[in-house]
Amino acid sequence: MPIGLVAIRDCLDGTLPAQLATCAPDGTPNVAYVSEVQFVDGQHVALSFQFFNKTRENILANPRATALVTHPESAARYRIHLQYLRTDVEGPLFESMKAKLAGIASHTGMSGVFRLRGSDVYRVLDIEHIPGLELPARPSGRNLLAAIRVCAQRMSACLDLASLLDAVLASLESVCDIHHAMVLMLEERGERLYTVASRGYEQSGVGSEIPLGAGVIGVAARERTPIRITYMTSEYSYRRAIRERLRADPHAPKLETEIPLPGLPEPCSQLAVPILAGARLLGVLYVESPENRRFGYDDEDALVAVAAQIGTAITALEQAAEHHAEPPASGVRRAPVSGAVVAIRRYAESDSLFIGDDYLIKGVAGAILWKLLREYLYEHRTEFTNRELRLDPAIRLPDVSENLEARLILLQRRLAERCDFIRIEKTGRGRFRLCVGRPVKLVEVAG
Amino acid sequence: MDAAPTVLDGAHAAFIQGGVSVIVASRDAHNTPTLVRALACRVSPDRRRVTVFLSASQAAALVAALRAIGAIAVVFSQPSTHRTIQLKGRDAAFTPLAPDDRERMTEQIALLVAELTALGHPEGMVRAFLDFAPDDVVAVAFTPAEAYAQTPGPGAGERLRR
Repeated sequence: MPIGLVAIRDCLDGTLPAQLATCAPDGTPNVAYVSEVQFVDGQHVALSFQFFNKTRENILANPRATALVTHPESAARYRIHLQYLRTDVEGPLFESMKAKLAGIASHTGMSGVFRLRGSDVYRVLDIEHIPGLELPARPSGRNLLAAIRVCAQRMSACLDLASLLDAVLASLESVCDIHHAMVLMLEERGERLYTVASRGYEQSGVGSEIPLGAGVIGVAARERTPIRITYMTSEYSYRRAIRERLRADPHAPKLETEIPLPGLPEPCSQLAVPILAGARLLGVLYVESPENRRFGYDDEDALVAVAAQIGTAITALEQAAEHHAEPPASGVRRAPVSGAVVAIRRYAESDSLFIGDDYLIKGVAGAILWKLLREYLYEHRTEFTNRELRLDPAIRLPDVSENLEARLILLQRRLAERCDFIRIEKTGRGRFRLCVGRPVKLVEVAG
Repeated sequence: MDAAPTVLDGAHAAFIQGGVSVIVASRDAHNTPTLVRALACRVSPDRRRVTVFLSASQAAALVAALRAIGAIAVVFSQPSTHRTIQLKGRDAAFTPLAPDDRERMTEQIALLVAELTALGHPEGMVRAFLDFAPDDVVAVAFTPAEAYAQTPGPGAGERLRR
């Protein structure tokens, strides 16, 4: 059986650079180093095009090339016989290679020198195993296929989005050995993502936001493709992305900046995978590690499989909620509470909500809480349904329905973290209860 | 032909014999390129001939191409600095090993192993891919006709200045 590209793709992710031989039409061979070789699929690889050089000139005139790659652990070497097809200068492949190259450049002291001009896509014609001394493969403590099975089983047992997300993050930790992870959802207008669940951080960061296209997470969302970085690089850091965004467009929609994004200060490995439902982007699953080269191609595949199931589950849960919503419990009225009155203020201009002097949340989640509190205070209600929120024009939710559930989770978690007397309890499919333990008054602050 | 100046100066000769990564390429009659990692190299005292050592069993197609056509390109790179030069020649020919070549290979490989392990590569893995069976080693000598600087950055691809 010929050697499959998938079987040797760890050689394309290694610490040792590959070399590429090409040949000019006059028969003069050329050999050069290639910083990055990317596995595209079972028949294709892409090589980083960084400089206008002889390699470039040669492949445009004579598309036959041969790459030499080395396995980073076993030292196994292969010659990959290639046929140059095309160069991508934008899009998912280009962006994923650009991000990975930033990590490689920073790791090898070449930041500012290595810049991706294009992704040269080649068809693999043949793979030749070069004889030579090889080290035996070390048994790995991780079995990703077994891990995906456990994740899938736990996810299919979940009946709502909150428990689904918790099950995913808990499974990543217990069976995939991934200790820092978060899930972000795309907001209604599709311009930013907000954190709805996280695991492995001192502060959950639920409610924090990232603009589309910013950092590893934002690029994965914008390009709808996994972005994986194997070494620490500041080029894709969240802070830098925000700074650059502000510089590029001072009038960009105001981001949630009160709640910092959770995350390791200097992650050495990062992997962001889009959560899709068909072609529609729902959010991003992001994992990171303080270890170099922690996530390889196999980890990327595993996370893509998990993210696909999240996407399917979110759609299914929402449809179930839509079609089988239970009616709100009737006749339940708010009971009197005692204690000092707490003022809850809403600032119209920034659309943000404060409990006493403490910032809670803004945007859609803020609008939801404001509506609930008004109904609670003036209509004496405590029982609510998702459906009425979705239909309320004041909340300004478009038809994209899974966002409501995610916003409720966000609100529920922000309250749990920031307020000890208001909480939201789920009471059934598509319905919930607002519990308020102290007297409150609502204050609208204009301007 | 003796009038033609050598493309290598003393510093280049010391660099390429100083324990760097050496990759050798050639091409067949259809201009299909091939390549292999070499173990070490030797520069003649007048710097007009460079000899590279490689494992024949790892380079069947390359050996055939060199025998048939003789076009050769060799890239020398120091991993820690990325300093890289490429030499090209048209007269590659197989030549017997000199008595001290095995020692030369061992020395240069030891330097490269030290270099790569200092960069964090596992020593066992580095030794494995630089391992060779003495009986398997062949020597290929050529006259460098062209030399290029290939250190990434400005100046990459330019002819080497002496």
